[in-house]
Amino acid sequence: MARYVVNRLAQAIMLLVIVSGIGFAILHLAPGGPLSQFAVSGQMTQEDLDRVTRQLGLDRPLPVQYLDWFGRMVRGDWGRSYRDGEAVLSVISSHLGATLELMATATIIAVLLGCWIGILGALRRYSLFDTLATVGAMIALSIPTFWFGLVTIYVFSVKLGWLPAGNRQTIGDGSFLDLLHHLIAPAMVLALVETAMWGRFMRSSMLEVINQDYIRTARAKGMPEWRILTVHALRNALLPMITVAGLQFPTLLGGALVAETVFTWPGMGRLFLDSIGYRDYPVVMGILMFSATMVLIGSLLADILYAVVDPRIRVG
Amino acid sequence: MTAATISTVQLAPGQAAWRRFRRHRLALAGAVIILVLVLGSAFGPYLLPFDDTYIDIMKRFAPPLSGAHILGTDELGRDVLARLMMGGRVSLSIGIVAMVIAMAVGIAVGAFAGFYGGVVGAVLMRLVDAVLCFPTIFLLLALAALTEPGLVTTTVLIAATAWMAVARVVEAQVRSLREREFAVAALAFGSSNLRIMFRELVPNAIAPIVVAATLNVAKAILLESYVSYLGYGIQPPAASWGNMLNNAQIYLTSAPWLAIAPGLAITLAVTSFNFLGDGLRDALDPRMNIP
Amino acid sequence: MAGDTGKLGVGALHLGIPNRRQFFQLGAGAAAGWTLSGSAFAQTERPANPPDKPRGQVIAALSQEPTVFHPLMPGIEVDQGIWWQVFSPLWYIEPNGKFVPDLAREVPTIENGGLSADGLTWKIKLRSDVKWHDGTPFTAEDVKFSIELINNPAFRARSRVGHSLVKDITVVAPDEIHWRMEAPYSPYMSILASFTFIVPKHILEKVSDPNASPFHNAPVGTGPFRWGERVPGDHIQLNAHTGYHGKGPYLERVVFKYIPDLTVLYTQFRTGQVDYTGLQGILPNFVQEAKTLKGRKIFVSSTSSVEHIAPNLDFGPFTDRAVREALYLAINKQAIIDALNYGLPTLTESFVPQQAWPFQQGLPQHKYDPAKANALLDAAGWVRGSGGVREKGGVKLEFTNSTTSGNAVREQTQQLLIQDWRAIGAAMRVNNMPAAVIWGEFWQQSKFNSVLVSVNFMLGSDPDVTPRFGSGAIPAKGGRGYNTYQYQSAEADRLLSQGAKQFDLAQRKATYGELQKLIRNDLAILPLFQGFIAEGIKEGLQGFRPNINMSINSWNMREWYWA
Repeated sequence: MARYVVNRLAQAIMLLVIVSGIGFAILHLAPGGPLSQFAVSGQMTQEDLDRVTRQLGLDRPLPVQYLDWFGRMVRGDWGRSYRDGEAVLSVISSHLGATLELMATATIIAVLLGCWIGILGALRRYSLFDTLATVGAMIALSIPTFWFGLVTIYVFSVKLGWLPAGNRQTIGDGSFLDLLHHLIAPAMVLALVETAMWGRFMRSSMLEVINQDYIRTARAKGMPEWRILTVHALRNALLPMITVAGLQFPTLLGGALVAETVFTWPGMGRLFLDSIGYRDYPVVMGILMFSATMVLIGSLLADILYAVVDPRIRVG
Repeated sequence: MTAATISTVQLAPGQAAWRRFRRHRLALAGAVIILVLVLGSAFGPYLLPFDDTYIDIMKRFAPPLSGAHILGTDELGRDVLARLMMGGRVSLSIGIVAMVIAMAVGIAVGAFAGFYGGVVGAVLMRLVDAVLCFPTIFLLLALAALTEPGLVTTTVLIAATAWMAVARVVEAQVRSLREREFAVAALAFGSSNLRIMFRELVPNAIAPIVVAATLNVAKAILLESYVSYLGYGIQPPAASWGNMLNNAQIYLTSAPWLAIAPGLAITLAVTSFNFLGDGLRDALDPRMNIP
Repeated sequence: MAGDTGKLGVGALHLGIPNRRQFFQLGAGAAAGWTLSGSAFAQTERPANPPDKPRGQVIAALSQEPTVFHPLMPGIEVDQGIWWQVFSPLWYIEPNGKFVPDLAREVPTIENGGLSADGLTWKIKLRSDVKWHDGTPFTAEDVKFSIELINNPAFRARSRVGHSLVKDITVVAPDEIHWRMEAPYSPYMSILASFTFIVPKHILEKVSDPNASPFHNAPVGTGPFRWGERVPGDHIQLNAHTGYHGKGPYLERVVFKYIPDLTVLYTQFRTGQVDYTGLQGILPNFVQEAKTLKGRKIFVSSTSSVEHIAPNLDFGPFTDRAVREALYLAINKQAIIDALNYGLPTLTESFVPQQAWPFQQGLPQHKYDPAKANALLDAAGWVRGSGGVREKGGVKLEFTNSTTSGNAVREQTQQLLIQDWRAIGAAMRVNNMPAAVIWGEFWQQSKFNSVLVSVNFMLGSDPDVTPRFGSGAIPAKGGRGYNTYQYQSAEADRLLSQGAKQFDLAQRKATYGELQKLIRNDLAILPLFQGFIAEGIKEGLQGFRPNINMSINSWNMREWYWA
């Protein structure tokens, strides 16, 4: 087991190196740079632009820049943002909280709602509820999330005025209730796709479990239905879900980016978009490395959990 | 749904698959809708009196059913239905072409890696894993923000984010099928590696590939809409469902039909492809229980 | 001389001026005069009854996030919104064009002895009652430190234009500073007014890295508001500085909220979540509705920028003046202004803002005349070929037009242009790209065919456009400047150098008038309209005064208060 973990860790590190290389190359080889935005205003002359380019070290050959960045990164110095000069790690962490709030809330909603729908759908297969749920889940997976977000803002903020039109809190009011008020809409929009997926996963997992022999045996033994459900079926159906959860992270992060864009949520997705727009290379690289690391950790945890939980699977 | 009838007649695998597919009503509905969308986009523009790029500034923001324009006009006075159809051409083609490219690259990489195994396979799959580390949207945005937007770029970008999953699936399948008897037999008969790869192994992995293909079209259409919505995809004056949504968002309160039409079209198309994929999955291999 | 943008930087380089005294008066006193116009709810010039103690707060929305809080480093316009509250310059420019002292006791002129007759020696008397936010008194040492910091090679200064000419800075007394300019440079007065904020020596001299220090995220200045807190990606809060040396502030708190989407920004203004919509303001399609909102006031003010089509004059069909004129005639400017921009901007034929003193009246008016355009092209030998696209001598009249992607109104303008130009046989294709790409090499090295862009041609308040139109200022040809149009005209060069050497206001106005006529005649640019911004405030908020001489209309938040 330990060997497996070590092996995977080594692979993960190698992957991260490749990821950093690819990311760095894409970023720097592309046209435009962090100083383009100043070129049209006329406040900075060509000399000023050249000077700042030199001062930022952007005129060095690409491999030199990469090695310099990489060397510092492994020592913990992820560089400084070109925009506000803050350390990249601090920039990321200041936005991370907001994204985690959003993702966590959406996941909770998705898990609760999705599992409920999935379990009921499995128990009442082919019923009206099941058909509606299936179709509904499919539609939920197919709606462009940002469109759904826009419509939500239109209906709930502009027309009905029930929910605020974006941002995380009302200025001056830092209460938890205010936070929740702002969290509802983006979390629901983000949860849309997640709920559908959890619903479908849960349904098929539950279906597989229900048709197993040991369930029939339990029934034959006279166990009450609800006990069969909770003790046997649910537990065994949930196990694969845990591993799936670990793999959801990249999708969730991507969805969070959409929700943050539409709802002006000050999270990492928003930061990523802005940083790419301003060609804030250090921050973009930082976010890429950070999310890649998170994805790898997520999948590693998922695999480990899977191996722990199911002794039949001991991957070599 | 009706219960399965027990048949004592042995059906050929293809016929059995077709039977199963037919019973999946939603999948049938999906297939029909897709057909309608494709035909509508392909031939519809010839039936309409309006051109999708003709600007009539005086007639901007005409609501649907208010005049000659069935779905109204947009912010420049162009006919929304015409743009929806032309946009359909673009979005659907991008969806399908991106899928084809993604499948081609994915199958090639996966087949090579699965068949040869060893160092080559490991390196290829590590590369695939590395690219998979980027959340799709991050990767898409990063690439999109750095290239010149357009039809070809958008298609290639979307394909670039989809091929990895295909490669993974194909590699796993080929790797397991490689050891089977028919592959070993083919090798004994002296078939070249390439022949074995593409004429024996891949066709046997066709079921998950077909399913993945259909679902990929759905994903590609959604991704195109998102990329165009952000301004990096299809450029004006060409219409795509995504950039129609992009143009519509500042008029959401004053002319909501501009956003509703493309939004519904995207949802309809993607849902249909998803149902189709579901139906295909059930039809081709009912034992496959991947959610 | 003209276009001599050598070692002393870009901008007017005035050598051998016989009587620089009056010349400096021009630079100092003749900025653009802004006249109240457009809005149905005009504000009075000065706040009427501000409260005794600061009270209340204003939430200002910005569609870009301010991230640079060191006022001497490269920053964008929204950053200036913060700088104007936290820091002070030596003097600033009022909307009517007058220079008003801020940290200085009086604006130096030749009459009061602040400037020497040749414009090279500057003696500035400073206020002695100014305190930094941390209580330390402000002295001339801070001014010396600021200028020296800009010229420090290790410091990532935004621009050294003008500052690099400053030598021998001497602190004569805590409230008086002298320096010598290496060469007379008229725009320096404006540069000190608009972009040069004074930073604290006692804090910044102690930092190890001038480019990254705690000061960068907790700035200390002499401005009316002190740094409060920043939630990255969300908002910045500034609190009143009760020890401010000038009038105000009358607000307890000012919050700058970042809302990147302009539709959401307007929605929040509508629902009352923000009190003031700053940059980029209210989208044109919402202005009509906004004006009907209860409890809101809308201001539509002109900016110093001119929206125009920038042709690359070295590119095939654009070298032919007949083509440029025909293209110009085929533009339906009125439709662009009325339909796409909802009638908000004003037509213009010049690159000079209409409120500025050098503005030339009576330039030839544009008329939308596609028939005449067709006739012009026919006469010039551009024959319609296959597909209706004209060609001459093997060169087709087809080209691309670029602008920043994501700008809805500009994209619509491009659609209209495509259609209108197709009618005269010109094939235009859209080639938009994100801001970070288009303004890079694509723009700077003239790699474009044509660009739809908005530019402020004036440097500060000076109309010297040598860097924009001088033949020595073409970066693509190795010159120094922003002449990305690649405009070359001996007559223009002559006028530019002449205007740079003249001292009499009337004469200068005549020279630049000739220049405007020349540029208009040559159609070096195809001007569309003068820039504008639509901003909204909640009713009851007093003190808002748009200032065409500033890049941001929240420059005077110290005068704002709730009635």
